[in-house]
Amino acid sequence: MTGWQIAAAVLTAAVVPCGWVCLRRSFASGLVAVQLAATAAGLALLTLAEAEGREPFANLALVLVVLSFAGALVFLRFLERQR
Amino acid sequence: MSATSVLSYALLAAGVAMVLFASVGLLAMDDIYGRLHYLAPSSLGAVLVAAAIWVREGPSTIAMQATLLAAFLLVASPALVHGTARAVRISEHGDWRPRRGEPVETEGR
Repeated sequence: MTGWQIAAAVLTAAVVPCGWVCLRRSFASGLVAVQLAATAAGLALLTLAEAEGREPFANLALVLVVLSFAGALVFLRFLERQR
Repeated sequence: MSATSVLSYALLAAGVAMVLFASVGLLAMDDIYGRLHYLAPSSLGAVLVAAAIWVREGPSTIAMQATLLAAFLLVASPALVHGTARAVRISEHGDWRPRRGEPVETEGR
């Protein structure tokens, strides 16, 4: 197992606390956790692409991060309307 | 192990540590405003991981993609944090502006 594969595994593990916050805390806290999880998952995909020498797979990381940003903006609108 | 390899692994370890720190900090904080602070270290982690890929690969497709990802996160993350704090404030009080009589910190006055 190379250092890059270990890094990808650790970054994937970093998503677990975010999932815990999503499940157990408020909607607003869950939204912050989703944003952090998207960053961690994107970096995990990037390091995995580097570890396996598959450059095109880095596109997945880029698309995930951009789409999760758009998704977070939509959830922010829902949060504003939640009283 | 060459110096380039050592530098690359050091940058990668620092980047991963940043994201891990942000993730644990998110879990440790009590309220939403405290949790928001932990989005910044994750963006810094992305920059460090992109730097590690640059050091390892040099100018290449994956290095450019990593740079693009880090640059996007550097721009988007503060905007998202601001938007989230604003949305939480609107959700709690109906308006993001300070209420009458609410103490507001001002800089330099």
